[in-house]
Amino acid sequence: MNEEELVEYFRAQMRKDPDMASAVAAIRTLLEFLKRDKGETILGLRESLTGATDCLTGVDSSVAVSSGGELFLRFISLTSLEHQDLSRCKKVMEERGELFLEKISMSRAKVAKLCHTFIKDGAKILTHSYSRVVLRVLEKAAAEKKRFSVYVTESQPDSAGRQMADALRKLNVPVTVVLDAAVGYVLEKVDLVIVGAEGVVESGGIINKIGTYQMAVCSKAHNKPFYVVAESFKFVRLYPLNQQDVPDKFKYKADTLKTVKNLSEEHPMIDYTPPSLITLLFTDLGVLTPSAVSDELIKLYL
Amino acid sequence: MSTMVQVVNLTTMPGPDKETDLTERIEAFLSDLKRGGSGTGPLRGSAETARETTALLRRITAQARWSSAGDLMEIIRKEGRRITAAQPSETTVGNMIRRVLKIVREEYARSRGSSEETDQQESLHKLLTSGGLSEENFRQHFATLKANVIEAINELLTELEGTTDNIAMQALEHIHSNEVIMTIGRSRTVEAFLKDAARKRKFHVIVAECAPFCQGHEMATSLSKAGIETTVIADAAIFAVMSRVNKVIIGTQTVLANGGLRAVNGTHTLALAAKHHSTPLIVCAPMFKLSPQFPNEEDTFHKFVSPHEVLPFTEGEILSKVNVHCPVFDYVPPELITLFISNIGGHAPSYIYRLMSELYHPEDHEL
Repeated sequence: MNEEELVEYFRAQMRKDPDMASAVAAIRTLLEFLKRDKGETILGLRESLTGATDCLTGVDSSVAVSSGGELFLRFISLTSLEHQDLSRCKKVMEERGELFLEKISMSRAKVAKLCHTFIKDGAKILTHSYSRVVLRVLEKAAAEKKRFSVYVTESQPDSAGRQMADALRKLNVPVTVVLDAAVGYVLEKVDLVIVGAEGVVESGGIINKIGTYQMAVCSKAHNKPFYVVAESFKFVRLYPLNQQDVPDKFKYKADTLKTVKNLSEEHPMIDYTPPSLITLLFTDLGVLTPSAVSDELIKLYL
Repeated sequence: MSTMVQVVNLTTMPGPDKETDLTERIEAFLSDLKRGGSGTGPLRGSAETARETTALLRRITAQARWSSAGDLMEIIRKEGRRITAAQPSETTVGNMIRRVLKIVREEYARSRGSSEETDQQESLHKLLTSGGLSEENFRQHFATLKANVIEAINELLTELEGTTDNIAMQALEHIHSNEVIMTIGRSRTVEAFLKDAARKRKFHVIVAECAPFCQGHEMATSLSKAGIETTVIADAAIFAVMSRVNKVIIGTQTVLANGGLRAVNGTHTLALAAKHHSTPLIVCAPMFKLSPQFPNEEDTFHKFVSPHEVLPFTEGEILSKVNVHCPVFDYVPPELITLFISNIGGHAPSYIYRLMSELYHPEDHEL
């Protein structure tokens, strides 16, 4: 499978199911790559997979794709440790890969099941930009006949918040779109804040659409709980200490990175929220406090 | 002290009928729980309740009819749901049931020969390496399972007996001479803790009375009998006195899964005052008080009791014009707590998630 086929397959996956997380699409693509790979050694396989992941991050530079790729690579390493023979190993990998994909397709449902109990009747929720996981949680809460209303930030520069508002209106949930600058203004009316995450870092903090950090700081100031909903495949091996530490390759869109010379004139698309501002994380592995996230990562990567 | 009423049926047929005996004991325990929750001291007897629950579970294991681990767990879960429904605020009952369920799982895994290292809990690692949708249905029969489970429950009971002493043993590390310690209400664990330290150190204790039940008075009497200089203050004076306090040591009814507390009414005030003065807040809580609940869940968080303690019925004229509430518990968020001292040592509140994963299995969080 060469580069163009890879990119085309990835794009096709994203088009086919717009609801699918980009990390899942990346893992699906890599699994397909694995199936078609004609390598003879495991080392060769790893190298070509690394190349494939780099290629995919060139298409979609979000943290999620990168974490999906790393997870897949880790999956390969773990499986190859058990079976030395390549052909047997490949067969096992393909089976487990399909199983893994099946399990993670259920992860959003698990997250929604855990989180919706935290939404009480009459609650006013604030959320940021467009997150499919948050949408799923709110769908579940609405299905449980809870009455709540939602404030969504517009989330410039791509106005993704409006997309979220439309989706919520279809669920008959009263929704108000607010300016990104109005977060502090609206927080006194709000009961809780729920956001999604593009990546969950080792410290328990999150990387999400720009404006999330601001929202977290304001929630802390107003003493409102700040909840994050994320699937477990978004856990990534980064440990940023401040906004500067987040690598540039995640901050800007893939096209921007390729075409623009001077990145300091571009607006970053994501920011980092430290764990001290997060109350709880809802994942398919359970409800976690930020300190529990690193434990999960250690269990996987060590 | 809550006593368990044992109903002895003298008219049974020759040969004891284990089933009815068991059901009678469970009913007796249930009615005792329901009665015990009438609010005359919420911290009273949690250790007792834990021990009784465990003994009852041991009896169920010994006497009920079951052939595989799956059956036993179903029976325990069923009885567990009934018992927790009888008194939802008494979380130690639910905790003990979950611990016993975990014991059953472990013994089953050990009998099957699978290594105990295999993390039964969900993790990214497990997601990646498992070979099939692992449906562990616990159907295999093992002859020695019953004996093993009963032995493990006995170990649990021994652990429960020793909790207060284990906590009290750590007192000398935390209390130094000439310190002023503040506490609230009455906690047996804190009482033992302070008395143990008093054997070797001289310090001063200030007890907030904790209205309306004023259990602080009993605590103060008991401490002064042990030779500790004690002062009782009204709850309203907590903030005023806090500047002279070196440490705050409290007990709690439950430790929640995020590291927060459900403690006696007035504790949140105490915690905020301590935070304001940067005074360390130490919570003495044995492991059986750790519960997998999170504070924001919908079901019964608050327990209210008769408001006559707050506004007596004799004040007839006002009663019709006023709403009176008497909540029993308070929620204290984890940011206000410095240290948890339990029978297995000292921990930070951010570490509670780890202790929880060691004590309970995630599938048992909801009985």
